[in-house]
Amino acid sequence: MSIAESVLDAVRAESALHGGARVTRAGLRIGELSGVAVESLRFCLEVLVADTDLAPLGFEIESAAWTRRCRACGAVFRVTDARPECTACGGDDTEAAGGDQMELSYLELEEP
Amino acid sequence: MRVPLERKVLSENDRIAAALRERFQRNGTFCVNLISSPGSGKTSLLERTLAGFDAARRVAVLTGDIQTDNDARRLARYGFPVRQITTGGACHLDASMVERHLTDWPVDELEILFLENVGNLVCPTSYDLGEEARAVLLSVAEGEDKPLKYPATFHHADLVVLTKIDLLPYVPFSMELARENARRVQPEIEILEVSCTSGAGLGQWNDWIQRHL
Ligand SMILES: [Zn+2]
Repeated sequence: MSIAESVLDAVRAESALHGGARVTRAGLRIGELSGVAVESLRFCLEVLVADTDLAPLGFEIESAAWTRRCRACGAVFRVTDARPECTACGGDDTEAAGGDQMELSYLELEEP
Repeated sequence: MRVPLERKVLSENDRIAAALRERFQRNGTFCVNLISSPGSGKTSLLERTLAGFDAARRVAVLTGDIQTDNDARRLARYGFPVRQITTGGACHLDASMVERHLTDWPVDELEILFLENVGNLVCPTSYDLGEEARAVLLSVAEGEDKPLKYPATFHHADLVVLTKIDLLPYVPFSMELARENARRVQPEIEILEVSCTSGAGLGQWNDWIQRHL
């Protein structure tokens, strides 16, 4: 719920930066390592937004993959089943490369 | 009209956390954020830790709870400053709560500040509190698959403390599998084993703290 409130705060702040334009749709990018479950966030946003001046704001939530980078061959690969080994060369010397995003990726604004 | 953005949802929390981290570093305060499910032994570990410290050490605890101040009272018995953060329903601490509860405290003289997060393995994960290290506690009474079920929690941790190891003879918990699962999620993670009942492993825990001072 706190995350959903922060999302609405971020939408308001960005809308203010664009002359207070009415926001009709907001895009969110939520990484698999962000600690946020997409479905529960979607639910919290729907409940929360209904009681605000932002309604009927809609959200598009996109999940961002958990990825690692191989230090041997340079491949960036998607981690599945929590396997840290490189899917290209099989090496086990890999480092974190992404998946902890929790960001507003776009806003759709009503034309003035 | 579509406006592309890359605005972090928790940018305000991250800003406050960065200021706290800068302040801790400037003053040489080692700040550690303790995260676990309810009942994994955060308060017991802190009790054993404080009990073992010389009274002259400059150590303090902020302890988060949704409602009660039981943990704060348990911890206050050891003579070190302890402050309760009642989150009023939130299942995690955030950086502004920490900042607020540090006002009029001699924070800048501390060598160690423990942040005992609210008992929850998920929600605290997303909130940077300005800590230098993050420790996740997992008791042997829980499943050794928790790192795989909650990868974000373990991915962002520097240390896993496997607690209640005195119960190992009575529970179907594989220490080896727990270690393997934690390392799959975070290959660089450090892992310790402790029992606050027998005192086993507390030496290594203290060494880990000492190494950061
Ligand atoms: Zn590779």
